[in-house]
Amino acid sequence: MTTIDMPIQKPVSALRSRFTLKTEAERFALVAAWLFLIILFGILMPDSFLSWRNFSTMFGSQAVLVVLTLGIIIPLTSGDFDLSGASILTMSSMVIGVFNAQMGWPILPVLVLSLAVGALIGAINAFFVLYFRIHSLIVTLGVGTFVNGVILWMSGSQTISGVSMELVSWVIMGRLWGIPLAFYYALILAAVIWYAFEFTIPGRKLLFVGRGREVSRLNGIPVERVRATSFILSGLISAFAGILYSGMTGSADPLSGLNLLLPAFAAAFLGATTIAPGRFNAFGAVISVYFLVTGITGLTMMGAHAYVQNLFYGGALVIAVSLSQLVRNRQPQDFS
Amino acid sequence: MRVLLLSAFVAASAIAAVPSGAHADAMADAKAILEQHKKMPVFDPPGEAFDAKSCMAGKKVLSIPISMTIPFNVELQKAMSTAAKEVGFTYTTWDNQLKTDQWIQGVSQAISQKYDVLDVAGGLNPEWLGPQLTEARSAGLKVTTTHLYDVTQKSAPTVDYSSRVDFTGAGKVLAAYAYVQTGGKPNVLIIGSSDVLPSIPFVKAIQDELKALCPECKQKHLDVPVSDWATKIQPGTQSALLADPGINYIIPIYDSMSQFVVPALRITGALGSVGVAGFNGTPFVLDMLREGQVNMDIGESLGWAGYAAIDNIMRMICGKPEVAKLNVPLLIFDKDNIKTAGVPANFNDGYGDAHLDGFRKLWKLK
Repeated sequence: MTTIDMPIQKPVSALRSRFTLKTEAERFALVAAWLFLIILFGILMPDSFLSWRNFSTMFGSQAVLVVLTLGIIIPLTSGDFDLSGASILTMSSMVIGVFNAQMGWPILPVLVLSLAVGALIGAINAFFVLYFRIHSLIVTLGVGTFVNGVILWMSGSQTISGVSMELVSWVIMGRLWGIPLAFYYALILAAVIWYAFEFTIPGRKLLFVGRGREVSRLNGIPVERVRATSFILSGLISAFAGILYSGMTGSADPLSGLNLLLPAFAAAFLGATTIAPGRFNAFGAVISVYFLVTGITGLTMMGAHAYVQNLFYGGALVIAVSLSQLVRNRQPQDFS
Repeated sequence: MRVLLLSAFVAASAIAAVPSGAHADAMADAKAILEQHKKMPVFDPPGEAFDAKSCMAGKKVLSIPISMTIPFNVELQKAMSTAAKEVGFTYTTWDNQLKTDQWIQGVSQAISQKYDVLDVAGGLNPEWLGPQLTEARSAGLKVTTTHLYDVTQKSAPTVDYSSRVDFTGAGKVLAAYAYVQTGGKPNVLIIGSSDVLPSIPFVKAIQDELKALCPECKQKHLDVPVSDWATKIQPGTQSALLADPGINYIIPIYDSMSQFVVPALRITGALGSVGVAGFNGTPFVLDMLREGQVNMDIGESLGWAGYAAIDNIMRMICGKPEVAKLNVPLLIFDKDNIKTAGVPANFNDGYGDAHLDGFRKLWKLK
């Protein structure tokens, strides 16, 4: 569970009175920072940076990271970590590589299989966390490492190219208003998660479980079922990210997808400072990914070295979360 | 006299117009470089012949690759082991998964089991094992590196012999290829990884050759550490292409980078109009070449490299001088000969087997 401290519950009238400019400023500070970056790089490089081609490229190429981030915020919301997300992504991609590119299976059944594998790994995570009552950090780390071993075994440590061009076309070559379709899949998924979190009973239950398991249990919420569902959904969405990854690269690589884990967590935590501050939220995650990629793209276009990107990435994360805390008068963080 | 002066002036101007190091007929020179590497490799003895069987009798060699999860290392070790078997000495590969503690265990094993040679292979930098290798040498072991340094680089002080690779030569070939394919007007994005030891001279060789062939042509270097390939090559390439739409060739120095370059080309709509050429002959990249996503890949037969590495190790034991560079020819794969690399491609097809007979004669096995 990621809860550090429970904030003191305020009466409804007090909450209403807090609907101030300050609150709104906090909600949209990251969006403003994103716009500021766009304007800054737009002034510095009006021809190249402000082109639609640049924006369509940025939107399309980050869809995999957005989807993976959306996957991990579900267990984060219910108070659990899923460190196996990137492993599931890589496994899903490798299932496509082995069954479609190597064994020649048609792409559609292979996509179903890779989603099923993702959900199965999520279920295994849930089983060990809930039945044995082990912390999710330990279980998902262990299961993720085990899955990495299986990926190396089934791929022979080789990258497999030749994934169906149909998939490549569905992900990256097919476009709407010049933006690859992968971006719209990510956006639709974000909208579904946002709606589920805000307006459905299961979504609210997930949030309550993350805020306080015992209170939820006493109120009749099936806590274990909710947590199990969050792991399975995380596995399913991570597997979907793997499908997009394969479609993006046209290949399956046993290692490279694993590097997306930390950027996904960075985006999830940065996203929790915006739109619905203090809560992991879908559109916050989307905005944080594109805020970070805008900065990195602008810096790269200006010829910055690789280390400058790391300075920006790490620096932006810490500064944004710190500023958010200042606005909140340094209240203890309650991410769930 | 005036004619003589005028002629001298014209000649001097012509010389001045060709910058230092530039080629007089750059296109012909570039094509000549490529021709050398398009032919089926022939065996060129790296030194004098010697009786390997007798001087290697009873010797033991332990090789620690950087990681056996990398197919390149698996194939290289397989070939080294086969060569050692042919000669008839003990050769052990220390299987590991890119972990420092496993490498250290390997060194301890070599010392305790009284091996004669400790080889660090396939990218493992001896600087990372400084104290351990010093201890091994104090215990009487000889230390070698295989497929790490560029021919222009010096070995670490803890190393006796090195099988250096001609990354510089590969860099010249890549630059020449981009020059020829763009009709003498290359605008190149070079993608390197300065954290990999030979990358710096490799990239410099490409940059220098491009400058020599075409001093006014544009080139850009994108430096991405290996651990960031998956997250930074694609956006970096996209940004470079958007910032300069005139880029017409991309050289990912290690061909495995291509899997992140091709999506960048697809997403920016540049696939097909911007060429891609790299080095290593990695099978999946050769498959991409066959499918038309990559234009050229310089390959080196790992079977050949394994025999050449064993040759250098044996030369050390047998008191022969170190070879200047790993005796492995670099072969250009492009659309004309990609079918010879196998379907799916592998690390050894397409290079012929001239090395087998060549090394056997060199080692006086036949």
